[in-house]
Amino acid sequence: MRPVALVGAGVTKFGVRKASYRDLIWEAGKACFDSLPAVRPRDLEGLVVGSVMPERTAFQSHISSLAAEALGIKPSTLSARTEHMCASGTVGIRYAYAFIAAGLADLVMVLGVEKLNQPATDEAILNMGAGVDREWEACHGLTAPPCFALAAQRHMAQYGTTEEQLALVGVKNHTHAARNPTAHFQKGATLEQVLGSRMIASPLRLYMCSPITDGAAAVILASEERARDLTDRPVWIRGTGQALDGFTLSSLPEDYSRWPAMKRAADAAYRMAGITAKDVRLAEVHDCFAIAEVIAYEELGFCEKGDGGPFVEKGRADYGGDVVVNPRGGLMGCGHPLGATGVAQAAEVFAQLRDEAGPRQVANARIGLTHNNSGMGEHVVMIYGRDAA
Amino acid sequence: MTMTYFRATDPFPLQSAEQNKLHEFYERLGQGRLATTACARCGRTAWPPRGFCPECASDEFSWVELPRDGTVHAFTIQDTGVPHGFEAPRVFAIVKVSEARIFAPIVGPGATTVRVGSPVRLSPVRVADDARGSPRYLLAFEPAEAPA
Repeated sequence: MRPVALVGAGVTKFGVRKASYRDLIWEAGKACFDSLPAVRPRDLEGLVVGSVMPERTAFQSHISSLAAEALGIKPSTLSARTEHMCASGTVGIRYAYAFIAAGLADLVMVLGVEKLNQPATDEAILNMGAGVDREWEACHGLTAPPCFALAAQRHMAQYGTTEEQLALVGVKNHTHAARNPTAHFQKGATLEQVLGSRMIASPLRLYMCSPITDGAAAVILASEERARDLTDRPVWIRGTGQALDGFTLSSLPEDYSRWPAMKRAADAAYRMAGITAKDVRLAEVHDCFAIAEVIAYEELGFCEKGDGGPFVEKGRADYGGDVVVNPRGGLMGCGHPLGATGVAQAAEVFAQLRDEAGPRQVANARIGLTHNNSGMGEHVVMIYGRDAA
Repeated sequence: MTMTYFRATDPFPLQSAEQNKLHEFYERLGQGRLATTACARCGRTAWPPRGFCPECASDEFSWVELPRDGTVHAFTIQDTGVPHGFEAPRVFAIVKVSEARIFAPIVGPGATTVRVGSPVRLSPVRVADDARGSPRYLLAFEPAEAPA
């Protein structure tokens, strides 16, 4: 397989955006092309678009072609849309990576985009039910919060994880987001605010949950030869892994506080990169809910199983700790425009490993990890490095 | 220009024999009975019911009755952010019935007072008929003991 690198990246402002689906595609495309002036839209050979529900939010299918036309890209080897609910963006990056690694393309854009907010707020929430099983779950009014609440309750009962520890994840990520001009929320949050925010699904309160957000992000992937040609600071894809345990709550492993598929995805990515969890100084993980980040510390190997609560409490997941988790502000601070999230995570690691993250810069990071999931049993992990190997 | 938007989908599955291989599940549910599928070739019992066996790839199955009584294995109460048309607070539970872990709401008097281990009983809910007028039922459980 050929080495593959990120050579460009751009992110739109995330939030409740006064913008159409296409506006967001234009914005992400512009931000990405601005990061790599040597490349014009017609230079790209391929485009992969991660997007979950434009059929419901914009009454629009045929997304990859729409985005290609919007940006002036004329794909000659690869044009596709990826849909894997909340992991759609990273799944798209894996496709583009594999195409380039296999020698089928040299220069491909991956764009993630979602316009979730609707004139009727109720409709935006109803739409989120499309991500769980219609016949056995969504018909009962299930969306994501109760699923992760079940994991949180189990983790608290099993390991003594406290509500305060969960709240500290919210405090940390909202604090990080305050340094990120593209984040949905930029006011930070105190422990009192998080613990005093309204209950969504017990024990998860508002500030322990990611919001419904519009946004888009794009990255450009290149083969080694093109990458070295286009930039003196490529960010290399060093490893990747994906694993699934199941889709419905009834089919997942019975202990919802253990997510073995995440561990398998991470182990595959570490093995491929030739590194261990200890080498990771910077991680963008899928904190759709505070409990997800706590479990991620454990399954990614940053701490022992069950120690996720103390790990955040002691500051080990923050600047000055073992690994800076979610310097961008995470899904809780930046918002979670489904298909855009994984691509925005990659864009953050791209900036960090090029020393371009400004006030969010993680000092001396040589390895960055992204983790994207689409439910408690479906996980994707990417490892990026400053060095090709 | 105004348009009368037609009803494309609602949150409930289509359940009738014309539209769903698992229609017998819903027919039983309408009679207050709980059932699931067993593979006709290897005998594996599934939850949720399924028309394809993940073990032996057979698509032939029979129906087996499950008890109407179960216990709350895990639950959460959602106070805000429930989708349009559903009322908060909503109690979502994993109910253990025999070996099956069944995801379903807890409804009726005392629903918000359930605890892990609470006994619950099948209590199907009739929802809107489908566009052709066929009745539809959803799985639900209610506390089996009156709240103290």
